[in-house]
Amino acid sequence: MNQRETEVDVIVVGGGSAGSTAALRAQKDLPVGRVMLLEKAHVKRSGAIAIGMDGLNNAVIPGHATPEQYVKEITMANDGIVNQRAVLAYAERSYDMIQQLDRWGVKFQKTQTGDFDVKKVHHNGSYVLPMPEGYDLKKILTRLLRRSGVRVNNRVMATRLLTAPDGSIAGVVGLNVRDGAVEVIRARAVILCCGASGRLGLPASGYLYGTYENPANAGDGYSLAYHAGAELTGIECFQINPLIKDYNGPACAYVTGPLGGHTVNARGHRFIESDYWSGQMMLEFYRELQSENGPVYLKLNHLAPETITEIERVLHRTERPSRGRFHAGRGHKYGEDLVEMHISEIGLCSGHSGSGVWVDERGATTAPGLYAAGDMACVPHNYLLGAMTYGEICAESALHHLRSGSAWTEDAAARDGIATQIAAEQARLAAPLARPRGIPHHQYEYKVRRLVNDYLQPPKTANRMHIGLQHFLRAQEELDNEVGASSPHELMRFVEAGFIRDCAEMAARASLYRTESRWGLYHYRLDYPEIDDDNWFVHVNLRKDAAGNMEALKRPVAPYVVPLDQTERRSYYRIRIPTGDVAAPSLAAGAPIGPEATAS
Amino acid sequence: MSSLKVFPAGSDREAEKAQQAKRVGNAQTTERFDVPVIVDEHRCIKGCHICIDSCPVDCLSVNPATTKAHMQFDECWYCLACEVDCPTDAITVKIPFLVR
Repeated sequence: MNQRETEVDVIVVGGGSAGSTAALRAQKDLPVGRVMLLEKAHVKRSGAIAIGMDGLNNAVIPGHATPEQYVKEITMANDGIVNQRAVLAYAERSYDMIQQLDRWGVKFQKTQTGDFDVKKVHHNGSYVLPMPEGYDLKKILTRLLRRSGVRVNNRVMATRLLTAPDGSIAGVVGLNVRDGAVEVIRARAVILCCGASGRLGLPASGYLYGTYENPANAGDGYSLAYHAGAELTGIECFQINPLIKDYNGPACAYVTGPLGGHTVNARGHRFIESDYWSGQMMLEFYRELQSENGPVYLKLNHLAPETITEIERVLHRTERPSRGRFHAGRGHKYGEDLVEMHISEIGLCSGHSGSGVWVDERGATTAPGLYAAGDMACVPHNYLLGAMTYGEICAESALHHLRSGSAWTEDAAARDGIATQIAAEQARLAAPLARPRGIPHHQYEYKVRRLVNDYLQPPKTANRMHIGLQHFLRAQEELDNEVGASSPHELMRFVEAGFIRDCAEMAARASLYRTESRWGLYHYRLDYPEIDDDNWFVHVNLRKDAAGNMEALKRPVAPYVVPLDQTERRSYYRIRIPTGDVAAPSLAAGAPIGPEATAS
Repeated sequence: MSSLKVFPAGSDREAEKAQQAKRVGNAQTTERFDVPVIVDEHRCIKGCHICIDSCPVDCLSVNPATTKAHMQFDECWYCLACEVDCPTDAITVKIPFLVR
């Protein structure tokens, strides 16, 4: 395979919202050409919000919310398992980022007096800032990148990271998905912004690309970080979202909720107080779907026609603009019909949940020189604004890392080690090309993801997950020996299939390790149905051990910087509206939460 | 009755076939797929790559037979980026059949 080599100071992997912002920030302090942005698609339409976003879900704006309130809310929504310092670092910079976006020309909804028009969707505080013309966001970022001097390398997908003998990051191996060349880029600082693991479970439609997340986000960053020796955390806290059934896009509660829309059961009754996506809310949603009151619907048909028009104007133009086409195809109208909803297949994502690469409040992973931001980096519920804010934080940390002198020296041993890694990756990428008539990537991927549904979809049990794990280990052998590729495009899918398999193994191992239930539906184990704070008020991390095997370990929850009282801790467990329709589920009805001692 | 030659009386036919199944290579077939991205070739501009650049999953390419854009791989997220960005409105994206 052709190989191209280059060297820069900072590589950003992934040109979505986090990565574009990270590259722009790093470039500010470095000579032109010393920052490279790798994007497997094209920066103008890539990342989770390829086609724009309709609002900021977690804006912390003075006068509406304080960083401390936000940290409390996110701590509650995550059953206490958060690194509060990382959440606080976001919250304290959130407003600066909003103002910067405002200056860049992103159009936010404002009141008649010119203030940001913040809405309440969360259980307690007000953090939602509508962005009805948010389809411009990616265009604005692309324009800024063009002017900045960042070397944007489109259609290049990172396949492995390079490491120095001491574990420091030394660069990236990438695949040009158009011409098939292998690109070796050396750098002492790498920022991973690869998005969620969004192609993990199989959508109920059976269409591989009918996912909630942009299917380009195949868990690349989770796998890249893992193989480079970095720790991951909260992987057992899956992403599961309430979505329009079959269409598999958001309904979207953050747009419709402030305008009077809400979810109801088949009896037409509301059953949850808050449509904010949390594991606890998802458990109520799941139980309602499973009960005689299911399915669940989004109800808009009680709203005034002009309100419906307003909702359609936003929902049919940004984020997932084909929603309107889907409804029209079935002859459904928001003003007349209820919208049937369902819960999504599982994924991994910190933007919505809490599963990702372990980072601190500087965006640093456990591998020196490696940083991570956005959906793949575990700052829970970070969403779009958190992605951009942490993009900047990571860029500043990477710059500091370069200035303070990265510790490893490029001696003969280091050069040999890196050359060995490059040769191994060349061989890994060449293997499927030698089997052009091997198993096609799409059949392989379908099977792995179908097995994810069969064995990992909550509610979870050890018996099922053990079987699933054996399937995922066998899938590694199939990938190594049977799957073939006949073009650079198929080779891209082959590499992604490996990312997906890695994420499936991680999801199984982390879920098996945590022998309790937590985060509502996200980690609901039938064999351990209760929260067990005595043993499990900890993070569960995954890493590659010295022998190359995946191991799970406990990490303590760092002392809180914003303490919560007992009433606050329980508030996310009072989401269900007591109507007498459904017996209150045990997990939701006031199970003990979080010992005070952990906050000491 | 060639199978009688390959599997003489008394041999365990299934066990032998199970071993063969592990050794034989792969065979392929082709199937028709209905794909969601429809390109109006009269409007599509030859040499324009805007939609191909826009696609986040890289499922579009130039069809060498027509020199116009087409959906080469059944891997569409129905995000509409290609449709929105096309300068001549040559593209219509349908919701994939499995989803619609």
